[in-house]
Amino acid sequence: MKIVVAYQWAPDPQEATVGESGTVDFSRAKPAMSDYDATAIEVGRAVASAAGASLVGVTVGGASVAQPVATKAALSRGLDEVVVVSDPAFESAGTLPVATVLAQVVQGLGDVALVIAGDTSIDNGARLLPPVLGALLGWPVLTDVQTLQFDGTAATAARTLPEGVQTLSLTGPAVIAVSADSAKPKAPGMKDVLAAGKKPVTVKSAADVGGAPAPEGVVRSTAKPSGPARKGIKIDTTDPAAAAAELLSALRAAGALS
Amino acid sequence: MPFQLSDEQQLTQSSVREFAEAEVLPIAVEVDRNHRFPEETVPKLGEMGLLGMLIPEEYGGSGMDPLSYNIAIEELSRCCATTGVLVEAHSSLCSWPIVHYGTEEQKRKYLPDLASGAKLGAFGLTEPNAGSDAGGTQTTAVRDGDEFILNGQKVFITNGGYAGTFVVFARSTDAPGTRGVSAFIVERDTPGFTVAPPEDKLGICGSSTTPLFFDNARIPAANLLGEEGKGFHVAMATLDGGRTGIAAQGVGIAQAAFEEAVKYAKERVQFGAPIAKLQAIQWMIADMATDIEAGRLLVYQAADLEGRGEPHGNASAMAKLYCGQMATRVTNEAIQVHGGVGYTAAYSAERHYRDARIIGIYEGTNEIQRLVISRNYLK
Ligand SMILES: Cc1cc2nc3c(=O)[nH]c(=O)nc-3n(C[C@H](O)[C@H](O)[C@H](O)COP(=O)(O)OP(=O)(O)OC[C@H]3O[C@@H](n4cnc5c(N)ncnc54)[C@H](O)[C@@H]3O)c2cc1C
Repeated sequence: MKIVVAYQWAPDPQEATVGESGTVDFSRAKPAMSDYDATAIEVGRAVASAAGASLVGVTVGGASVAQPVATKAALSRGLDEVVVVSDPAFESAGTLPVATVLAQVVQGLGDVALVIAGDTSIDNGARLLPPVLGALLGWPVLTDVQTLQFDGTAATAARTLPEGVQTLSLTGPAVIAVSADSAKPKAPGMKDVLAAGKKPVTVKSAADVGGAPAPEGVVRSTAKPSGPARKGIKIDTTDPAAAAAELLSALRAAGALS
Repeated sequence: MPFQLSDEQQLTQSSVREFAEAEVLPIAVEVDRNHRFPEETVPKLGEMGLLGMLIPEEYGGSGMDPLSYNIAIEELSRCCATTGVLVEAHSSLCSWPIVHYGTEEQKRKYLPDLASGAKLGAFGLTEPNAGSDAGGTQTTAVRDGDEFILNGQKVFITNGGYAGTFVVFARSTDAPGTRGVSAFIVERDTPGFTVAPPEDKLGICGSSTTPLFFDNARIPAANLLGEEGKGFHVAMATLDGGRTGIAAQGVGIAQAAFEEAVKYAKERVQFGAPIAKLQAIQWMIADMATDIEAGRLLVYQAADLEGRGEPHGNASAMAKLYCGQMATRVTNEAIQVHGGVGYTAAYSAERHYRDARIIGIYEGTNEIQRLVISRNYLK
């Protein structure tokens, strides 16, 4: 039995620069795994170990996702093996083509009980991938999952929603999107770093998965949100009562409160 | 020589940084302020495999290459110099000589606990009358049947208050000078062996730096480390690797100060613009970055030579000499970039400045490194 974690190896937004006009420049940002995906692997590792399943990482992207340092970084977080679909055609591909390829890989793996993914991605944050992947696979999708248990047959998931906590059980394969607080990713230890290089890696090209995706819309520009300029008032919160008073008077001064 | 870190070295860097930022950095200021040994970090370091980096896998370590190890020391020191030297003394000074000079029995007995962090390691060479002149050891070891009886005193021993395993040097024969010195493994609970309270220091304030006393302390003859009379050689070979680790500690301290200076320069507004727009500040930042990079490359070079089994004593002495001075220069400039707040405890610049000062002293002062280096050219 396999549990799949879908992860993304993408330019680290922490290293992106935002120009004065609001343009975001990723050209000097080194690729990395987002905390969301590290969290998904952490959850996946616990669930797979408890169920005696093997944990397979799957990613789709440009050339950088197949670099040994990228696959080893993913494997050092606890995956048993990775399957990467790496092709310049998938560099910054959108949700639908990525999900289509992921679905194909998951079906090809066979005996997949669960696909776990982060709730959101570091680059676009559209939160679309798990639902689209579930739709393509024809599997149920649970989002906002904070705790997940799986005994090899049945899964129990608790979803934390604004309205409260919903606990569900399900059997059969499903796509699970875990929330950022579902686990605290631990830094890989030295033995994990060394073991990563010895684990299996499968690299597929676009040709192996049915060719390059159809062209999609392109991002023409990015800009700061329009609206009133920020006032840049910083309130010292050491003393909460004083901070609240200062906030109230700032809001009054701005005419937001009467 | 262009330097390209291997995948494993890059991953070691990112993993140790992630660990240090999560577990070490949050307590660094408090550990410094309260002169408190970060005891709770030891099991976490053990779990991460950071206490067994120089110990082969068969003895429970992670058996990393020296460059990965030095990268880890840099990353830990970037967050907390106290934690950096805790790992450095444990690894370079205690574990390394046992790995390289220990008998099979000694390795099986001592290395697994050092690798896991169940026991912390320390290295006792310096004495009140034998500092730079480390061969002037006055502590004695007298053979008595299956035992050696140790008498004497050590000073300034890193990890002293918390270590379970000590590599200690004592004079065991009448041979003059360095030839009479032997190395021994001493367990903490040995009767007659006591550890005195720690020194109060300028920097690396959380590090436990203590005197050790031997008053008819009997240790098994089986705990002789390496050949009798070859202890000084053990000490010098140990320091050849250790000095690279201290240089790496200096790089980490300087890097932290540099990053904070850059951040502050972008935020602090004077004369209507961030001070980073002033050429005076830009030049300081450029000099600091260049200085750190030069020191880091000397560390990488020394560690790489060691990893390839090449002689590295000269390279490690150069790395330590350079980084000792570099760390002091860079942390000094970082205070300057901060202006008045840099002189206060509100920012970490002053902590880095105090921490940096030790790099040019322990494991051989700057003057001793110059002696080591010049000997290689004036032979
Ligand atoms: C925080 C801390 C931690 C330490 N940890 C350890 C440890 O874990 N284990 C251990 O064994 N030791 C440790 N030491 C000791 C350290 O290695 C010595 O302090 C150092 O080697 C210098 O010796 P000293 O203090 O006796 O100075 P001295 O040797 O008295 O030196 C005084 C001055 O004279 C100069 N000098 C001496 N001889 C010469 C020479 N031949 N040529 C030119 N100049 C010379 C020195 O450079 C220095 O400027 C530690 C020290 C400190 C402060």
